[in-house]
Amino acid sequence: MKIALSLLLTAILTNNFILCKFLGICPFLGVSKKLNTAVGMSAAVIFVMVLATAVTYPINTLLKANNLEYLQTIVFILVIAALVQLVEIVLKKYMVSLYNALGIYLPLITTNCAVLGVVLLNIDNGYNFWQSMVYSLGGGIGFMVAMVMFAGVRERLEGCDIPKSLQGLPITLVAASLVSMSFLGFAGLVDNMFA
Amino acid sequence: MAEKKSIGKEFTKGLIAENPVFRLVLGTCPTLAVSTSVASAIGMGIAATAVLFCSNIVISALRKVIPQKVRIPAYIVIIASFVTMIQLLVKAFVPALDSALGVYLPLIVVNCIILGRAEAFASKNAVLASAADGLGMGIGFTTALFLMSTVREILGSGTFLSGIKDLLAVFGGDISFNGFTIPFLNENPLTVFVLAPGGFFVFGMMIALSNKLAERNGKPKAEINGCASCPMASSCALIADGKKCEEADAK
Amino acid sequence: MKKLNLKEIFVPTVSLFVICAVAAALLGLTNSVTEQKIEEAAAASAAKARLKVCKDAQSFEEKTDKNGNVYFEAKDKDGNTVGFAVTTRDKSYGGEIEVMTGLSADGEITGVEILAIDDTPGLGMNAKKDEFRNEFLGKKGNLTVSKSASADDEIQAITGATITSNAVTRCVNKAAEVYQNISGGEGIG
Repeated sequence: MKIALSLLLTAILTNNFILCKFLGICPFLGVSKKLNTAVGMSAAVIFVMVLATAVTYPINTLLKANNLEYLQTIVFILVIAALVQLVEIVLKKYMVSLYNALGIYLPLITTNCAVLGVVLLNIDNGYNFWQSMVYSLGGGIGFMVAMVMFAGVRERLEGCDIPKSLQGLPITLVAASLVSMSFLGFAGLVDNMFA
Repeated sequence: MAEKKSIGKEFTKGLIAENPVFRLVLGTCPTLAVSTSVASAIGMGIAATAVLFCSNIVISALRKVIPQKVRIPAYIVIIASFVTMIQLLVKAFVPALDSALGVYLPLIVVNCIILGRAEAFASKNAVLASAADGLGMGIGFTTALFLMSTVREILGSGTFLSGIKDLLAVFGGDISFNGFTIPFLNENPLTVFVLAPGGFFVFGMMIALSNKLAERNGKPKAEINGCASCPMASSCALIADGKKCEEADAK
Repeated sequence: MKKLNLKEIFVPTVSLFVICAVAAALLGLTNSVTEQKIEEAAAASAAKARLKVCKDAQSFEEKTDKNGNVYFEAKDKDGNTVGFAVTTRDKSYGGEIEVMTGLSADGEITGVEILAIDDTPGLGMNAKKDEFRNEFLGKKGNLTVSKSASADDEIQAITGATITSNAVTRCVNKAAEVYQNISGGEGIG
């Protein structure tokens, strides 16, 4: 339990996927203009991350057993792409309301480096199945926290008087820099909590 | 003759006018993540360029064979194979680079520059032009990484080209050159520049600068438009359903 | 229900399958070519690290202590034991770190090399710098980290990276424990 909580908080706060590991920057900058799109996108990311981990973990064990670890990257990206397609079809058919909320974001997730990243990091860090699941969940929630916070920051930026050369993307990145700096404050928090 | 000129153009456009990082705002994740040191940035740039060059050639050569319906999965398989090959080669010949890039090396698979060029260029153009495009874009990506990492390493660590020894080791021999140390900054580095916030900040300033230069030449500003810059746009439900991203944003 | 067009299903499936098969074959080929080279590179870098932490050594012999920890016994050109190289792991800020510690025959630390680390550049990554690693030299294990080290068994933490400093120190302490096992059992030093 202690390990699970520590893993979860690490993934959300101290090693936040977007703000500390730079995974998933494209949606972070592209889809964070409005709060509700940010929430929809991140919900879809959490869902796919956890699902992808649940599916790739046994596959990796299989690859390892056959000495085919070098096929990891290609197998995982294909599995994730197929999974996303499958989820989209299932949602469209059986859960229309959920599909309307999340469906449009699903294709964007296939090539999202946060999803492939979490799967590969789980293996690099040598987590077992449950630890991997918790870490993926934490990574997804961390993604959401960063997206939602940043959407709020960006809505504030809309009405600001910004120097001409910084308008648009540059000021967005400077704002991201400040949000990321605030997350540096969490460094050490988790380890000291559970030490 | 005309053909030759246009191939030269495909090559040079990726360097400045359509620089993938500063103008098209693609591949931001690796740009931010590995630009903490010049050596790993160059390593990443070369690896990504090799993948982009090879995948562009193969995808362009197969563009009439791959059925329209399964083209995205096909592209992903081709790109992922080249990434894995590069990964194995790096592990074998430059192990230090493998440990420096870590998870970002396999993540070249999802670098939007590569899938983006496959979809936007290689799938529609001849092999030679696609090769030139891939090489140009790759070098443009490497240049952008080099610029970013130069600023970040000098300010943040007080060194320049530190760790280049491991990269040069691939040519054999015992190279003793291992970068420069910047006098004052080495003792008092502005560490924040190699941390995550510094990455976002330097990138923001670089985009501002490139916007300024583009404006002077009468070109539009670099902008990330959610979908416009995304290689998945054409297969994305937002477009397939006849909606535009703006409508989704408004929803 | 719409009649399934055989060609519509068949052609994409087969072509995708062919691409996958070709890709897998090429990767298998690349792997068979590079596999040995990767192992050699790993072995070479481990050997290099062992020489760095045990400078007087001429050769190494792989051994196992009574708890099953693998270590390398360093020998000089006459075959006398001059030290030990022990690789240990611990959890750090950005995942697991791997540290090789060199100990002399009487248990003094002669070198610390960071083999694998994935921490924050500029903070935790400073553990690779000589200033930090040299703090361990001449000490004997059971070390603690403090922000202003003064005592003999204290290690000065890296600024902004206490967790990494702790992790490296734990690794070194584990190596010192392995040394205790060795010397306790065989009576060296």
